[in-house]
Amino acid sequence: MIKKIILAILILGILGALYGWFFVYNKPHTNFEKSKPDFEVTATGLYNDYVSGKGNRYNGKVLKLTGTVKKTDDGDTLVTLVFVFNEGMFGDEGIRCTLLPKYNPQIRKLTLPATITLKGFCAGYNGTDVVLEQCSLLK
Amino acid sequence: MNMKRILVVLAVFLSFTVSTQAQRYITKSGNITFFSDGPLEKIEAVNNKVNAALDSQSGMFVFKVLMKSFVFEKALMQEHFNENYVESDKYPVATFKGKVTNISDVNFNKPGDYQAKVTGQLTIHGQTHPVKTTGTFTVYDKGVKGKSQFTIKLIDYNIEIPSIVSGKIAKEILITVNIDLKPLKQ
Repeated sequence: MIKKIILAILILGILGALYGWFFVYNKPHTNFEKSKPDFEVTATGLYNDYVSGKGNRYNGKVLKLTGTVKKTDDGDTLVTLVFVFNEGMFGDEGIRCTLLPKYNPQIRKLTLPATITLKGFCAGYNGTDVVLEQCSLLK
Repeated sequence: MNMKRILVVLAVFLSFTVSTQAQRYITKSGNITFFSDGPLEKIEAVNNKVNAALDSQSGMFVFKVLMKSFVFEKALMQEHFNENYVESDKYPVATFKGKVTNISDVNFNKPGDYQAKVTGQLTIHGQTHPVKTTGTFTVYDKGVKGKSQFTIKLIDYNIEIPSIVSGKIAKEILITVNIDLKPLKQ
């Protein structure tokens, strides 16, 4: 009987450790493409909120954003959509959205300026730009 | 004759103002990695959306880094980094404001490698601390590439590591900076 209890505890312990290893220590990164947006915003509204100091509530949240893209920055792997609102010491200022690579072909076909809706993770405002990452194109 | 002289003076003056015009070089996709070589675990994080600006005349050198843009191999580490260590909700941006002290040694019109001395103030986690480092600027046809490596001490930035994980995280962190600056069209 004692042996059985010890065995059961051991098995539970091992299962617990495995659970910890797979689901806590090695838990996967959030898939923002599947996340539900925390906020729905317009590009102008989001930018103005950050510039006027009311933007911190968007930090680290998933945003659904609609606006007019004026420019893209095309790197080798990362394509960035740029919503331009201002000019400053770093050049264009506004909202910069890097896309999940699978959307790159679609974006490269866009005729600019274009009105689009996208969803992504908001990393915050660095004093010149609002940065959205891992964005997926909705329409 | 008089007219000719005026024209010559004007031409010299114009060429002078053009050649000494301050040029700003910028990037918004600079790369910063940090590396913690702890006794039990090596931890690395990458941020490839760093803002940097360099003024080729005054040597003014500025970086702006969003802490939430650092990507770790493990999601759990990224979560701990943001929530417990750098508190990125409270302190979302790290900045460096400084100067290339030997900027006159860099010839922005002549491709090649130049050694740069950089000093400035680094602000992370709301704490500002002086940083002094060296690096390399590589002038090429499209702009200037910059590279540097230096270490920072977590204690200088008031970043506390709980004793339970202190074996995993080094007290000194190696920072590697790689930027590809392009001239800002004015």
